[in-house]
Amino acid sequence: MERKHIKNQSKNKKLPIIDQPLSTDFMLKLENIHTFYGQIEALKGIDIEINRGEIVCLIGSNGAGKSTTLMTISGILRPKVGNIYFEGESINETLSHRIVEMGISQVPEGRRIFQRLTVRENLEMGAFLGRGDFASSLERIYSLFPVLKERERQLGGTLSGGEQQMLAIGRALMSNPKLLLLDEPSLGLAPIMVSKIFKTIKEINHEGTTVLLVEQNARAALKLSDRGYVLENGRITIQGKGEELLNNERVKTAYLGE
Amino acid sequence: MLAQQIINGLTLGGVYAIIALGYTMVYGILELINFAHGEIYMLGAYAGIIFFGLFTAIGLTSYSLPLSIVLTLILSIIFCSSYGFTIEKIAYKPLRKAPRLSPLISAIGVSIFLQNYVMLTQGATDRVFPYLFGAAGFDFIGARVTYLQSFIIAISALLMLSLHFFVARTMIGKAMRAVAQDRVMASLVGINIDTVISTTFVIGSGLAAVAGMMVAMYYGLVNYSIGYIAGIKAFTAAVLGGIGSIPGAMFGGIVLGLVEAMGAAYISSEYKDAYAFVILIIILLIKPAGLFGKSTEDRYK
Repeated sequence: MERKHIKNQSKNKKLPIIDQPLSTDFMLKLENIHTFYGQIEALKGIDIEINRGEIVCLIGSNGAGKSTTLMTISGILRPKVGNIYFEGESINETLSHRIVEMGISQVPEGRRIFQRLTVRENLEMGAFLGRGDFASSLERIYSLFPVLKERERQLGGTLSGGEQQMLAIGRALMSNPKLLLLDEPSLGLAPIMVSKIFKTIKEINHEGTTVLLVEQNARAALKLSDRGYVLENGRITIQGKGEELLNNERVKTAYLGE
Repeated sequence: MLAQQIINGLTLGGVYAIIALGYTMVYGILELINFAHGEIYMLGAYAGIIFFGLFTAIGLTSYSLPLSIVLTLILSIIFCSSYGFTIEKIAYKPLRKAPRLSPLISAIGVSIFLQNYVMLTQGATDRVFPYLFGAAGFDFIGARVTYLQSFIIAISALLMLSLHFFVARTMIGKAMRAVAQDRVMASLVGINIDTVISTTFVIGSGLAAVAGMMVAMYYGLVNYSIGYIAGIKAFTAAVLGGIGSIPGAMFGGIVLGLVEAMGAAYISSEYKDAYAFVILIIILLIKPAGLFGKSTEDRYK
């Protein structure tokens, strides 16, 4: 109680969760999130915490609520119950474009490239808010994915699946996000492309971007991640360090096919 | 004779194209046929008459006619754009998540409201725009082109080019295309959807204002119901070009103007207004997506 009192008086109003030990530096915190599609409860009270600099993955089968979780974080869907905090600030009611401005970018399921915009224009849209320097962001994306530079003037819709995935990641990085949400980046890609994409995710993370990765390819995702959550029917059922989950019996039988 | 009809057709077509752009831009972004758009054009014509009358009263027109015309145009654009902006906020935005029929009905409501509002405040009889240029003009490849016609053709062309560059090159123009293609994704990259939608209404209404004033100058007469027929013709032009497509609306408007001029000259001017509907029916039967339009499957690819 004593500490609570002192904290309330301090000027640092960034941390609303007062009982949180000061050493933990949560970047994103989902507290008891319930999200509905009409009458259907897609998320039934989930808690997720992501620390600065981590790669966290969210695994689960189709319809478990993985994409719903990401869309709720991005403010496209709104939780009926629960709280989302980003860097200590509640973003439950924040408009989607404001959330991007605060530093959360998403690469959504199915990539959703602007088909009739050129590759370059797609990247420009990623930098719409002007977070960071445009020229250096563009150079960074082109060095991560040289093929995008070659195809700069082509329409987004003419790219192959793997190239579209690169463009989608590039577009999300153009806003220099603090937190990158990736929804099934490996879906439908050739194995060689999958390993390239995962390598890039690692690289992006090393450069300082925190990553929340949603994947069906559980093995690759867990190997890459610091921590993982298993989502089943709208609930978090298992959580732990990446290697813990890789050795967990339930995870092995349900998601790793062992 | 033919050259003359081409000039007449281009004059008319330019105006149709400019109104059609408003329909097509709003449709591209909201998938809404904004039936109140013709009324914005009508408001533009009235605003032209009222502001020009004001300038005549204070003696600006006798001081400098071009300056008064330009000022009238600018004021009409601001006037109509504010209407477009407000209409979207009041009549369409609250219905954004409603079934698609609801905003459509709301649009028809706005259209009826504006017609009656203008009829009650401005009277039900025709209003006159002063005949400024007379029949003065020049001969061009065997056709008589009045200065007013060349002014209308030039302004229409200029507006279409500017809009094309705006949509192709500027950030907000690209954002408009992004929103039209995938609204959720557009907000995921940080585009404020409401700003883009408002911008679309403001631009479309500004264009309609110019069209309204040019038609007021061309025909000299304006009444509260001119928005209806002009709106339907411009809508036809937009459908002809493929609704949602900006080059389509430009092309559709010009083709429609030419068809009307030719029809009036070579078939009968009695049926002047019917040609547009014949085209609308033919297009809907043969190529419902329009000449430049994407079929529904393509749109969602």
